[in-house]
Amino acid sequence: MGAVSAVVGVGHTRYGRLPEFDAYELGLWALKDALADAGLRFDDIDGLIVNRIPDYQRFCEIAGISPDYVNITPGQGRFSGIDIETAAALIRDGLATTVALVYGNNGRSAGDRYGGAGDTYGSGGAGNWFPYGMTSPGAFHALMARRHMELYGTTGDHLGTVSKTFRDHAALNPSAVMRNPFTLADYHASRYICEPLHLLDYCLINDGGVALIITTAERARDLKQPPAYVRGYGMATTLAGSMFPPDDFWRASMRRAGEKSFRMAGVTPADVSTLMIYDNFTPTVLFSLEGYGYCGEGESGPFVAEGHLALGARYPTNTSGGHLSESYMQGWALNLEAVLQVRGQCGERQVKDCALAHYMAAAPVVTSIIYGREPS
Amino acid sequence: MRPLPQTDGPDRPFWQALRRREVQVQRCGSCGTHRFPATRYCARCRSDVSEWVVVAPSGTLETWCVFHRPYFEGLPVPYTVIQVRLDCGVRVFANPAGVKNDKLRIGIPVEAVFEDVTGDVTLLMFKPKGS
Repeated sequence: MGAVSAVVGVGHTRYGRLPEFDAYELGLWALKDALADAGLRFDDIDGLIVNRIPDYQRFCEIAGISPDYVNITPGQGRFSGIDIETAAALIRDGLATTVALVYGNNGRSAGDRYGGAGDTYGSGGAGNWFPYGMTSPGAFHALMARRHMELYGTTGDHLGTVSKTFRDHAALNPSAVMRNPFTLADYHASRYICEPLHLLDYCLINDGGVALIITTAERARDLKQPPAYVRGYGMATTLAGSMFPPDDFWRASMRRAGEKSFRMAGVTPADVSTLMIYDNFTPTVLFSLEGYGYCGEGESGPFVAEGHLALGARYPTNTSGGHLSESYMQGWALNLEAVLQVRGQCGERQVKDCALAHYMAAAPVVTSIIYGREPS
Repeated sequence: MRPLPQTDGPDRPFWQALRRREVQVQRCGSCGTHRFPATRYCARCRSDVSEWVVVAPSGTLETWCVFHRPYFEGLPVPYTVIQVRLDCGVRVFANPAGVKNDKLRIGIPVEAVFEDVTGDVTLLMFKPKGS
């Protein structure tokens, strides 16, 4: 047995403000970069999934490709993990041999807002609560953070440590948008957006694109880069009743998705070298550590304060800086970083002897993906 | 002026009840589960039989947050949003009425306050029970 598929190419645009590019162009820029990285040609792509790019047909026209399999997913961060898992399943079932996953996001230049009258977060039911001023994904996570604080004694210092640690990592990443380190005092001095969350608990909003190329493990061995084997993956949802934050901080579905992925990979959290955690807001990092078994229920605050997420510690996390400091690529750039880590190509921020990287998310839809340097 | 709800849509009985200082939600005619906002089918048993019923104007505070960044004209910051589970099981977001944030605690019992915001619209807010 062993991994059936592997990521063999990764590419990304510059991150930041790129007003002269639309989402299609950002995606194509990243795809060209990923194919060059893999040593593959456009004609090698026989499967394509585009994410946040408005139209798959237009994208294929622009790219000049006619893949056998095509799909498109909406611009919600949960779909990065879903798309990668779908690609792995397509390859396992033989529907495609070389799948390109292409993401383009011009949200910064397009003036995207995440709150207020146009808010469609989650099920789109947000409008019911506008009279009370309830809006935005940030407020949703602020409500969850407050509950976690009240139930378990989690503190602002715990959240601040997450943000500060990722910024320290971003300082070592030439691609990161925000690279100036800050102190916990700076964190507390940053303005509240939705209390208990400060500005520095929120992810960035920036333009950019990311592409990944996934192919069979067999083919991967003959290509240019060391393969990042897709060792295990799992997914679960908490969608019923999801207009409101879940009582369990999505733990049950994370446990289910995590167990599926660990079982498929034949490993446990104790074997993992580095974590890539979907950090739209700092609290989701805490929820993920509990949900995927890296610490006990309610213990994520002190766990983080002990320093385990820093480079050189037990579980270096979001070594790129993540959404908080590198780039808001909705999970894609974290998966790219996982690939670079198992390849050993992260330069100054490389995790020593990185055999396994675990990407995970805490949200109404959770995905868990384990990448390995070896196929089994 | 703060954003106003659509009071003439499927949730009309809820808004009309607030004018009368009552809380009404939908109740499934098959399994008895309460629900709000209005839906044709019950998310628990999928029955399309339902009626609007008066429920107890009381519940439990589940969590809260304080907005410091303005999103709506007419809602000056800071303002507080609370999440309440009514005793009938339905969850709502609302604002606290006449209570300081340092008195908010998860699990405290709360009771409805009916806040007239225009001549036609009353909002459902809450205060700690007995305060």
